[in-house]
Amino acid sequence: MDVVSQLQRQFVDHTTSLYREKGFLDDQFTQLQKLQDDSNPEFVVEVVSLFFEDSQKLLNNLASALQQQIVDYKQVDAHVHQFKGSSSSIGAQRVKNVCVGFRNCCEEKNLDGCVRFLQLLEHEYTLVKSKLETLFGLEQKILAAGGSVPMMA
Amino acid sequence: MQIEQAASFPYRKPPTESTSAHFPDKNTVTEPLRDDSREKFYERYIQKREGKLREEWGSKRAEKEAKMKANEGQIFRHPIDLLQSEDEEDLSEFAKQIPIGHDRNYASIIQTMEKMIMENDLYMEDLLELSLEALGTSTTGNGSSCKGEVVVPDQFPAGLRVLVVDDDITCLKILEQMLRRCMYHVTTCSQATVALNLLREKKGCFDVVLSDVHMPDMDGFRLLELVGLEMDLPVIMMSADGSTSAVMRGISHGACDYLIKPIREEELKNIWQHVVRKKWNENKEHEHSGSLDDNDRHKRGSDDAEYASSINEGAEGFLKTQKKRRDAKEEDDGELENDDPSAAKKPRVVWSVELHQQFVSAVNQLGIDKAVPKRILELMNVPGLTRENVASHLQKFRLYLKRLSGVAQQQGGIPTSYCGPVEQNAKLGSLGRFDIQALAASGQIPPQTLAALHAELLGRPTGNLPLMRCPSNISKQFPQTVITAEDVHSGLGAWPSNALSAVGPSSNLGGLVAQSGNILTGMLHHQPQQPRQQQQQKQKQSMLQEPSRSINVQPSCLVVPSQSSASFLAGKSPAAVNQNCSFNRSSAIDYSLLSPQSNNSSSGVGQLSNGNLKMTSVLNGYAGPASISQSVSSCSMNADNGGDRQLQNSALASSAPRQLPGLAPNMCNIQGSYSTKSGQVLDQGPLRNLGFVGKGTSIPSRFAVDEPESPMSNLNYGKIYGENYGSKVKQEPSMDFIENAKVGIPILQNLSPNDLMSVFSE
Repeated sequence: MDVVSQLQRQFVDHTTSLYREKGFLDDQFTQLQKLQDDSNPEFVVEVVSLFFEDSQKLLNNLASALQQQIVDYKQVDAHVHQFKGSSSSIGAQRVKNVCVGFRNCCEEKNLDGCVRFLQLLEHEYTLVKSKLETLFGLEQKILAAGGSVPMMA
Repeated sequence: MQIEQAASFPYRKPPTESTSAHFPDKNTVTEPLRDDSREKFYERYIQKREGKLREEWGSKRAEKEAKMKANEGQIFRHPIDLLQSEDEEDLSEFAKQIPIGHDRNYASIIQTMEKMIMENDLYMEDLLELSLEALGTSTTGNGSSCKGEVVVPDQFPAGLRVLVVDDDITCLKILEQMLRRCMYHVTTCSQATVALNLLREKKGCFDVVLSDVHMPDMDGFRLLELVGLEMDLPVIMMSADGSTSAVMRGISHGACDYLIKPIREEELKNIWQHVVRKKWNENKEHEHSGSLDDNDRHKRGSDDAEYASSINEGAEGFLKTQKKRRDAKEEDDGELENDDPSAAKKPRVVWSVELHQQFVSAVNQLGIDKAVPKRILELMNVPGLTRENVASHLQKFRLYLKRLSGVAQQQGGIPTSYCGPVEQNAKLGSLGRFDIQALAASGQIPPQTLAALHAELLGRPTGNLPLMRCPSNISKQFPQTVITAEDVHSGLGAWPSNALSAVGPSSNLGGLVAQSGNILTGMLHHQPQQPRQQQQQKQKQSMLQEPSRSINVQPSCLVVPSQSSASFLAGKSPAAVNQNCSFNRSSAIDYSLLSPQSNNSSSGVGQLSNGNLKMTSVLNGYAGPASISQSVSSCSMNADNGGDRQLQNSALASSAPRQLPGLAPNMCNIQGSYSTKSGQVLDQGPLRNLGFVGKGTSIPSRFAVDEPESPMSNLNYGKIYGENYGSKVKQEPSMDFIENAKVGIPILQNLSPNDLMSVFSE
């Protein structure tokens, strides 16, 4: 039990940091967790995995779009828009915020800005990805140790 | 209203959320009913109801009622309220009451709902009708049903079939999970083109579509348009872009709703409202395909459902040419018996004279404003008769009455058999059946009859029907269609076939008819009918003395009496007095038409004494000499008796000799307050069919044209009943009732005041 409570504490700390301190995640993520139920026990993990896949593709597309001779800002904007949608659905708040700024640059057709935002986007995405992976890891450990995952309000 | 306590059955709470179709609470409609009469009515009703309940539903029901009485303090939430509530608890409460089959047929849900409503006898009928339409047909209409899919849970709106289209797989998955938790049946699609194909292949398999705005293969709005065009499903747009302009675009493309990502589960829970709302709105649209004002409808919420159902039934069986085109869904109407929208119509009920008599007496008993199909059905107590039958019959009857008031048209000779569809008056519109003109023309319906009927219906003693005053300038050319009072008394003896078969009225009706007959007679004969009428009236008075049910007839059209009067006399004026009727609730327009001379001054029209029955008949489209029509427009009759009703029936009032040709087309908007639904504008169509004659029944004899007035009576009849209908009078050339109609028109010429008079026998 010691191990479990330790893990649980870690979990809570981690989650707290994710939510409050760094704002990586917002309430939408909580919604996702609430959606998980017995009929769909791995729901959150599945969704987040999908998000990772999707995001990877989007980032690649963005990179190549911005590397074009003539940048198609509409296309770029479409990608960013999509990224914004999926990240907000997951609750990846910071990523979403970057997307908002990114879109502005697209509208202005600011290549430099876009490139910078893309970098920022990649950075944030990587961050949240690792955080979430840590979270899931902790969850699994807790469950493996026989404990239950604390519900975050 | 005391009734609520007295009856202790739950009344529907006025809808507080305007999520779905918003029906005005019947109880809040202003009705100039007299309290005592209302009370009496309710008392009667309650007794009857309780007795009925015991009978029909066994002691269990009675027990339940008793328990409810005991628990009066408790708040009863009517199922419909629960349904409309957004509160999850309420929904589950509601759902508990509704057993739903596994095939999740909404129609079965509605059946249950209807049963519940019937049991509770609330003013939910209309709501139910529409729900039936909305829910019963939406899922099953359009062909193949998607049975065989996952069995859905039993609680409405569980099982709503949603199609989600989004190129973002993450979102798609999240939405899917959320919708599943709402107990909806979800199909996901990441490509718009695939989704479109899916929708096309499986028409009728989805209730609502959720679509993302930005998609690579097709713009979400394009999909929205296509879905709306082809499948007419509600489409909800989603987007991470929540800017006002984007939302505006969505709305302008016709989206039912626009959700901003990230979407929360709560937002998805209520998407069923769009399905229901759409259906309801569709129904309303169809109902008002005619020329009626929407005002009417709104004001008469309670009739809507009946109307809808009646319309549907009517459309199915009766309407011929003018019938508004409805798509299958609505015609099929998801009424109880009709789960499958494309199922065959129910067997037509032949409204024999006796049956109609029962019907009319039931209506009288209930009072125009309270005469809803369910209650009528109960009172009639005819085995095998369904509520829908009654509803459609009632609709026709009302139309007929409406027509009556505006009639006096040209009658061409009332066909004797009203069985045949009345095609002549294409413009009959809703009143189609009641081709008062025709009837009048053929003299099938004696004015007295009409008047009497009218009075009867209105619950007013046929006091001084203004019509009576009309000088009898009614031309004699009128075939003797006028039934004498005696005839009427005798139960509407020789009515012409097409006459109001329905006029097998109860004694009340008889009186009514008699009165109308009186009036008509007077008019027709161009003689001061007053004495006779009065006398007849007196005879009938007793009969007609009905507990006052105030009927508000509100003029829906502004009739131009003056013009008509002149023309009336001349008989040449264009009939279209009221082509443009404006629904004017309170204006009582005196139709001077009725006056023998063309002075259709309102005064001439007469004051129907009987309370405040105001019938404003707008005669529209009288092809012939307009005068009549105009006169028909509004007679203000101030009944002396109850004083609570003013029948304005200009047309009727004036006993203008006119050529009633105008009458026919006159649309009398008799806005009776059957249920304060006024503003029934008789559609422009000549009021051909006076006869609210049962279909196929041979009432002919009833409205036999013994006197010139008879057609008028028909008018009255129709009008009277029609007024409350409040719905637009559709011009249906031939409805059953109208079948005999043609009568009026040709005769109108001669009819003139008669026709008008008959209408307002008040």
